[in-house]
Amino acid sequence: MRQRTSGPSDRPPPPSRHRPRPAALTTLAARVLCVLLAGATAGCASLASPTAEVGADRMADPRPVRDGGTLTIALKSDPDKLDPTLASTAVGRTVFAAMCEKLYDVDAENRIVPQLAAAPPTTSDKGRTVTIRLRRGVRFADGTRMDAKAVKTSLDRHRTLTGSVRASELKPITSVSAVGEDTVRLRLSKPYVPLLALLADRSGMVMSPTALQRYGTGFASHPTCVGPFRYTERVVGDRIVLDKDPNYYDADAVHLRRVVYRTITDGNVRLANLQSGDIQVGDQMDPVQVGRALTEPGLQLFNSPSLGYYGLTLNIGNTKGAGAPPGRIDTPIARDVRVREAFDLALDRGLINTIVFQGRYRPTCGPLPSGTPYATGTRCPARDPAKARRLLKAAGVATPVRVRLQISTTPEDNRLGQVVQAMAKEAGFAVSLAPTEFATGLEHSRAGDFQAATTNWSGRLDPAGNIDAFTGTGGAQNYGGLSDPAIDRLIAEGGATASGADRRKIYARLVERIRARHTVLYLIQPTNYVSATKEVAGLKVFGDGLIRVKDAGYAKGGS
Amino acid sequence: MSYPVRRIGESLITLFLVSVVVFAGVRALPGDTATALAGEEPTPEAIAQIRESYGLDDNIVVQYLRYVRHAATGDLGISSRTGLPVLDSVLEALPVTLELSALALLLAVVVGVGAGVVAAVRRGRPEEWLVNAVALLGLSVPAFWLGIVLVLAFAIAVPVFAASGFVPFGVDPMENLRHMVLPVIVLGSGLAAVVMRQTRAAMLGSLSADYVRTARAKGLSRRQVIMGHALRNSLVTVVTVLGLQLGHLISGAVVTEQIFVLPGFGKLTIDAVFSRDYAMVQGVVLFTSAAYILVNLLVDLAYSVIDPRIRLGGAQ
Repeated sequence: MRQRTSGPSDRPPPPSRHRPRPAALTTLAARVLCVLLAGATAGCASLASPTAEVGADRMADPRPVRDGGTLTIALKSDPDKLDPTLASTAVGRTVFAAMCEKLYDVDAENRIVPQLAAAPPTTSDKGRTVTIRLRRGVRFADGTRMDAKAVKTSLDRHRTLTGSVRASELKPITSVSAVGEDTVRLRLSKPYVPLLALLADRSGMVMSPTALQRYGTGFASHPTCVGPFRYTERVVGDRIVLDKDPNYYDADAVHLRRVVYRTITDGNVRLANLQSGDIQVGDQMDPVQVGRALTEPGLQLFNSPSLGYYGLTLNIGNTKGAGAPPGRIDTPIARDVRVREAFDLALDRGLINTIVFQGRYRPTCGPLPSGTPYATGTRCPARDPAKARRLLKAAGVATPVRVRLQISTTPEDNRLGQVVQAMAKEAGFAVSLAPTEFATGLEHSRAGDFQAATTNWSGRLDPAGNIDAFTGTGGAQNYGGLSDPAIDRLIAEGGATASGADRRKIYARLVERIRARHTVLYLIQPTNYVSATKEVAGLKVFGDGLIRVKDAGYAKGGS
Repeated sequence: MSYPVRRIGESLITLFLVSVVVFAGVRALPGDTATALAGEEPTPEAIAQIRESYGLDDNIVVQYLRYVRHAATGDLGISSRTGLPVLDSVLEALPVTLELSALALLLAVVVGVGAGVVAAVRRGRPEEWLVNAVALLGLSVPAFWLGIVLVLAFAIAVPVFAASGFVPFGVDPMENLRHMVLPVIVLGSGLAAVVMRQTRAAMLGSLSADYVRTARAKGLSRRQVIMGHALRNSLVTVVTVLGLQLGHLISGAVVTEQIFVLPGFGKLTIDAVFSRDYAMVQGVVLFTSAAYILVNLLVDLAYSVIDPRIRLGGAQ
């Protein structure tokens, strides 16, 4: 039976809820009056104190913190199953970051570093055998030992459990064996370099075999891993409560007593709760809310370039569903690459960033994010409607070329759709917008029931994670139905090449080839924005967008 | 067959029909639950496995019968999104929505009936205009707008109440109150306005009725006439309105719970619909429908107590 345990004793020691003092009553009264008059739309800008604009990336707050307190973090959506094998939401990864450590992790420079592993893996047999040495003296939240057998149990579960979302990404693994107490050996069907990045994500999470045996498929109700915090309770749609784990190998470095994740889907409500002090950290703040947060003297901002992208996918061959062999689609945009190039040339990425995302993201034209070793640094072509019209003329298509663009129902996608519509019109396209609710849109995209659709990918550290499934023939997320032997060959080479320098060359060629096909039009690299009250220190937000709370706490001596 | 037994029977049939409609309805929604569940990386293998795990490939009749068989034993299934038992989530959300609805109802009755009586008794005077104006405002202002304004005013500018969230009464009564005041105002204000208008209209009718004139002629005090005769006879209308409005109260709770992030039925339903979590949608709607049907049943039974002609008419 889960207990509702939040109450006054759970609140942080220095609540940021400022009680009104007599001297401030006039100001407060003015604020209330202003709010009542202005309502929900205008706000009271003149009463707010301006602070600095967003500058360079800010991923961590190094101020020393004191022990104790509860940190409440608002998430944008409710995580799905708290089971590393079955979990599929990006937001769930943020919760796992506090309670389920992985064999490897990502650092501030987007490098893969050991976490539960003791060192980088060693490979032999031409990359077909991977040996991982484990950190010693590690215990799960239930007090049992984390050893090679536990890692084998977890990896085998990821690979074989019915409904496992990890199974496909671990497909190259043919067997896992425990070699001694602290060494695990993986046999692969082929050399597979992206495996390391996968082991730095949910596939690398290790679960307590005792808990797995005890709870079986109900593990999501009792997730038991190694982490600075351990699972306490979950109230669906409301909160997930984690408490400091005394069994954690680095427990002395953990300051907070408790972390509470609350689901607040509306960005404005997330910001209002930050302002009122009901939460201390707001995850995934939208550019509009970032702008408003910057005028709040009590808030601070963390920002790091995301590993993902916003873009448009054009359907050129998905007739039987993603993953199936491509078919023929008889529309100008599907038939002729020149029409797709014209559509691409109609778009001004810089202006899209300014109008749609308040200039807070970065224009991009490739799948590989800046700030990673494989970033290609491709210069995006300038918008050229005149050239676009010439291309349409050369293709011999009647203008305007009609394109139906599926967008989601978020404000961002609405703005993006309208801007694309306006830009494309000048180049000879008539874009109609089809706002579609998320689950329906996902099904349409998968089934190939669309002409063009907005695409939003949270991103993966290894370049394969941003490319293979989206552009490889038969890729599970190849919604555009792209099939190009040259791309497939380069994908295979990229996955099997161990040398970093060689891989960089391969991915540079691959990106150029993908761009030349104009099936996925990459537009924007988002930024991970996390807002927090100024009392909070020690928080870390890296490129993967996860909020790391291991070192977090309340700043010594206040803000 | 007695009136109460007949009404209970009708209620059970309604509940059965609701279960059929909800079961078919959620499956008629566009968007595939397996695709939604497969998350960011929906591989064909994962989707096929999810379909198998949740029996989504079975015939809809087979799925319904399986659902009814389990529901009859109190097993509402496992949430496909969270992997947690639906019944647990429903039982966790139930007190939140019940408390919110009950407090909003209390607010509506106290404020609405009181203001309605004042408006009727002080007809044509400034008090009536003021009450009418406030009621009009209560009816016209959208809940989401009122909610945001109240949060800005009383959770941020003057931080007296909480902007969101829920603390159970049993854990901390004061914190519970701090979290519930704004949502209750948002949810209850519209209903209070409706109740006020109905009370005022019914009271105006009663105050000009013969029995009130008779009561006055008998020398009863003004208070006795208003409270003991006019108001009591007006309550049948008010109870009717409350019964009809309770459905709106429950549906209004959906919006209010979203604004104030209260973990009640509304929030649970919306999250479940967007993720095509069939088991959760069915569980929540079944509970909500049962509550709605129960309330209507109680209102009808209350009628028969207040006005015996209804009970007797039913018996005929």
